[in-house]
Amino acid sequence: MKKLALAVSLALAASGGALAQEKTIQVTGFGAKTGVIRLFGINSEAAMLAAAEVINKQGGVKLADGSKAKIAVEFLDDRCNAEEGISVIRRIYSSDAMVAVGPTCSNVAEPLYGILQKKVDDKGDSGLQMPVFTDVAIKGGLAKISEWSFRNVPSEWIMYSSLYYWLSTKHPQFKTVYGGVEEDFAHSRASWYSVMKDRAQANGYTVVGESKWLLNDSNFSTQVREMKKANADILSIAAHPFTTCGLLKEMKRQGYKPKLLVGLTSTSSLEVMQGCPKDVEGMIIPTSFAPVNKEAKFAAAATAKYKGSADLHSMAAWENMFILKQVMEAEGISGDKKQVQADRRKIRDGLAKLKTTQGLLGVSKRTDDREADKPYLFVHASKGEWKVLHNPL
Amino acid sequence: MLDFAQVVLDGLLFGATYALIGIGFTLVFGVMHKLNLSYAAASIGGAYCGLLVLQVMAGAPAWLVFLCGFLAGGVLGYVVYLACFHFIPFSSPLATLMSTVGMLLLIDEIIVHATEGRPLNYPAMFDDVMLRAGELSLRGDLLLVFAVAVLCMAALLLVLYKTKLGIATRAVSQQPMAAQLCGIRIGRVNALTFVVTGLLGGIAGALIGASVGTLSPLLTLPLTVKGLIVTVIGGLGSIPGAIIAGLLVGGFENVFQLYRGVTERDLYVMLLLFVFLVFRPGGIFSPQSGRH
Repeated sequence: MKKLALAVSLALAASGGALAQEKTIQVTGFGAKTGVIRLFGINSEAAMLAAAEVINKQGGVKLADGSKAKIAVEFLDDRCNAEEGISVIRRIYSSDAMVAVGPTCSNVAEPLYGILQKKVDDKGDSGLQMPVFTDVAIKGGLAKISEWSFRNVPSEWIMYSSLYYWLSTKHPQFKTVYGGVEEDFAHSRASWYSVMKDRAQANGYTVVGESKWLLNDSNFSTQVREMKKANADILSIAAHPFTTCGLLKEMKRQGYKPKLLVGLTSTSSLEVMQGCPKDVEGMIIPTSFAPVNKEAKFAAAATAKYKGSADLHSMAAWENMFILKQVMEAEGISGDKKQVQADRRKIRDGLAKLKTTQGLLGVSKRTDDREADKPYLFVHASKGEWKVLHNPL
Repeated sequence: MLDFAQVVLDGLLFGATYALIGIGFTLVFGVMHKLNLSYAAASIGGAYCGLLVLQVMAGAPAWLVFLCGFLAGGVLGYVVYLACFHFIPFSSPLATLMSTVGMLLLIDEIIVHATEGRPLNYPAMFDDVMLRAGELSLRGDLLLVFAVAVLCMAALLLVLYKTKLGIATRAVSQQPMAAQLCGIRIGRVNALTFVVTGLLGGIAGALIGASVGTLSPLLTLPLTVKGLIVTVIGGLGSIPGAIIAGLLVGGFENVFQLYRGVTERDLYVMLLLFVFLVFRPGGIFSPQSGRH
């Protein structure tokens, strides 16, 4: 009996030792998990956890010494607040995390990139040397702020160029565009003034006017009357789900129906379908994700297991995890907690070297300013669902 | 000119939603001389609870959702009373004020967690009715909100002036010590006031949800601010004042938006508030007073 107890103890000690030696790679996600855009954080976290599970089931990440390490995901809440975002990235920097994935909001991303080291190896710059691989914050051209910032978000510039071009060939009789913009939200503003309006004009449309409202507004009667009066062929709305739904409902009340309705990339989500499923019918949106192939369907199902929904944002987080695995293996990180800063640098350099990445809809090109040129397609709201309308690629 | 008239009309009608919230603020202040800053959040919370009917009974009529919102509002009103007023000494006005701020944020965050922050479709009544008066149009659902606001005012005045509860409420409002000496249970009167304002808030939240067409936690803070402005402009404690001020703020808001744009709109509404605070600090329904 004593011999048996000794054998069990030795076996337990041996397995305990093996467990203690198993390395983990900490990847920390961050984004909004409170407030009205909490869903973005929940979805990103679910996608990251689901991707990590898949990677770990396949054995994990191969390290420089040939051993394997599992990926551990942690997700922090920045409340879509710039100050909290900066505090969160400092916390991540002081942890063992190899890389940060986030944030949700462009108004967080912009100042947060600003506290990273601008140029690698600049001894005079005491900015944080932490690779940040953004999945959601979509406002154009932000990654150029720091050589430590990378993004895997679609280019709205390219997507809306393509969309308005396609519309101009498919419906050549339509000549005018009217804009509706959520004036106090960074992404909506940037999308309308710098992207949608510009791209519509570049494709031969005349922008006959624009109506503005605020993120918290609930009365859209004046704006809809302006839209009715302008009587443009296409109405382009750059707003988030709550006000998009409010506006669409007011349009219905006033009996205004434009010939075509174009929406903001972020609107092609479940939120609008829950808020105003009937009123959004027909809205066309360019997006970098739809469950159109086996991989995309698998990713969506895996994310759903963690109570997240798959959309262009959360699936970017999924893709980021696989890109990071590829980079870590290619660069030969040690996975040693004592060498975390050296590993971070390797990950940064690896991300900077990438020319293409494999995404769920196909191959994405990486640009010199660390942005992505992702495959995309056009979806439209049809009977309470977002369905693929056209694949321009 | 037609645009102006339509904008004023739209604003006045939408102002009925502010009036409903203002009535709740003003009633609590009138009775207890306390501000309940969580009132708008609790009202929207009640409206959210109304949506639970649709979970149990898909396709339930809008009136049933409203009824559930109305009742849930009453329950929430009592909860707010217990949490923010009952156990906190009245001698510390700042404590009750801060507790209602905490309750506002708590309700807001509970809604966000329960719904993941998603906007939810809210059923409406008369939303497809648009009355025409020549070139001008009037939204049927907002006319309903206006009618409910007037009915609420009438009902509240009836309760206040024609029932024992009303007499007790006014007595507590005017002389709490004397009321207590006469055998009126102040705690009970205060609790009932919160239940009544909660019921009113529930229906207000439901009607606001219906008039917007969508419920979102984004509604709570702007409604709190507008409700407070309406209460101050209407006169703290004046129910008819809250209605008139609600319509006034709604109308002004739309006119400012038309002429100065959406980004400056709230600036002028705040200026309007300051004008009242300086030249008529007691609100519309008070004797004129200035800075003496």
